[in-house]
Amino acid sequence: MSTTAYHEKKRLTNPPATFKLKIQRREREISPAHWETFELQYRRNLNVISALMEVRMNPVTADGKRTTPPVWDMSCLEQVCGICTMVIDGKVRQSCSALIDDLLLESNSDTVMLQPMSKFPNVRDLKVDRSKMFDHLKQVNAWIELDGSYDLGPGPHLSNEVAQERYAYSRCMTCGCCLEACPQYSDDNYIGPQAIAQARLFNMHPTGKLNVDDRLNGLLGDDGITNCGNAQNCVQVCPMSIPLTRAIYETNRDVTVNALFGWLKK
Amino acid sequence: MAIKVSSTFLLRKLHQLTGIVPLGLFFFVHMFTNSKAMNGEVPFEKAVQEIHDIPFLLFLEIFGIFLPLTFHSVYGVIISTEARANVFTYNYGRNWFYFFQRATGIFLFFFIFFHILNFRFGLIPGLNMTPIAGNAGLSYNIVSAEFSIPWVMVFYIVGIGATAWHLAYGFWLFAVDWGIIIGENAQKYALYACTVLAFGLFAVGVNAAISFVRPCGLFPAALCEKSSAVKKADGPAKF
Repeated sequence: MSTTAYHEKKRLTNPPATFKLKIQRREREISPAHWETFELQYRRNLNVISALMEVRMNPVTADGKRTTPPVWDMSCLEQVCGICTMVIDGKVRQSCSALIDDLLLESNSDTVMLQPMSKFPNVRDLKVDRSKMFDHLKQVNAWIELDGSYDLGPGPHLSNEVAQERYAYSRCMTCGCCLEACPQYSDDNYIGPQAIAQARLFNMHPTGKLNVDDRLNGLLGDDGITNCGNAQNCVQVCPMSIPLTRAIYETNRDVTVNALFGWLKK
Repeated sequence: MAIKVSSTFLLRKLHQLTGIVPLGLFFFVHMFTNSKAMNGEVPFEKAVQEIHDIPFLLFLEIFGIFLPLTFHSVYGVIISTEARANVFTYNYGRNWFYFFQRATGIFLFFFIFFHILNFRFGLIPGLNMTPIAGNAGLSYNIVSAEFSIPWVMVFYIVGIGATAWHLAYGFWLFAVDWGIIIGENAQKYALYACTVLAFGLFAVGVNAAISFVRPCGLFPAALCEKSSAVKKADGPAKF
């Protein structure tokens, strides 16, 4: 099982004059969702965000109705901030790195479909509120206690192996792809791969090890790590190729040793 | 700081454990006993009688089968209702296995309920009203009469297949959920092993089922031991 490897971006050899952007819209959190389709001039190297910018400049639907400009989140435009994550042609990914050529080739149609992520509160149009993920980080103490009244000295050494694995976990950008693709995650009933990987990141750190129990406690509640169903979609959709399942299973071992059989040490 | 565990955590772990022991263990024993039908009516009924003669049988039936099975199946259905299956959007192998584990689980909930009423209690009107419990001497004939009906045979073969897969993949799930198998490669090879086990159990189970309608099941009859034992339950031997 491998995560998405680097692949050459494909280009349309015979591009259409126009293509359609079908967007799921919502006025505000409580209002019902509806669809709007926009027709755009094709041009080379368009990505979903630049296509959305075109719509924003002239928000007129394909049947000539003037509407409000669509709302979405974006920031870095190079797939490292994670904020522009949305569901594109049914699959979750970052809109900045989703090229229109690729999408049209893959779906073999003239339409690109955009939806907000379904597992988070939909603030408006394509914008969602991902603050649950940040609450999860607090729940698992995803940090290292460094503050003290005296100089703690230089940081401890890490083996290269541990450093490599920790680096992989540290790439997480809290984008939400893993939770969106997870069949177990809905209504915030499961803390999810993102928080488990961050708990693992700090559990592997020599200083962080001092608080392993705090982090495991955060993972042993009713929404804890045992809710994982091992569908392993998270590791497939992770745009940063984080070994999320390894984090889950290593933590499973910690849980088995410390929580399930911990009483045998007493 | 001490570790505190939630009830969900304990229930999940108990659910995973009961699937392996006692239920998984029971399935192995069950298939072994069924396979004795390959050698004919007498050895099979002897095996059933031996089960009847197990000391503390009722205790074992209640605490070794009935309670774990009820818990595993009811809690399993509850877990399945939490799933938001997305196999068509995210069309990956493990995602399908995730889906199959729940699909086979829900099917088995009904299949095993039917199977127990049918053979253990003999409470399916129009099919079988004689419980095998307490009637070891009739067990072969009861099963053999039912398995001669094509839809019953097909239903049971599907049930055996679902159980074999659910159990074999359950071993894999247990190993990853308890942190025994962690790495990508280890998981891959463990999954191969579990697939082999699933097909093996399915083959043994189907062969045993066929043995009730055809001597020696799927094998040539010459391969099976001609039982020298004589059936005594129906009165004196006829020679």
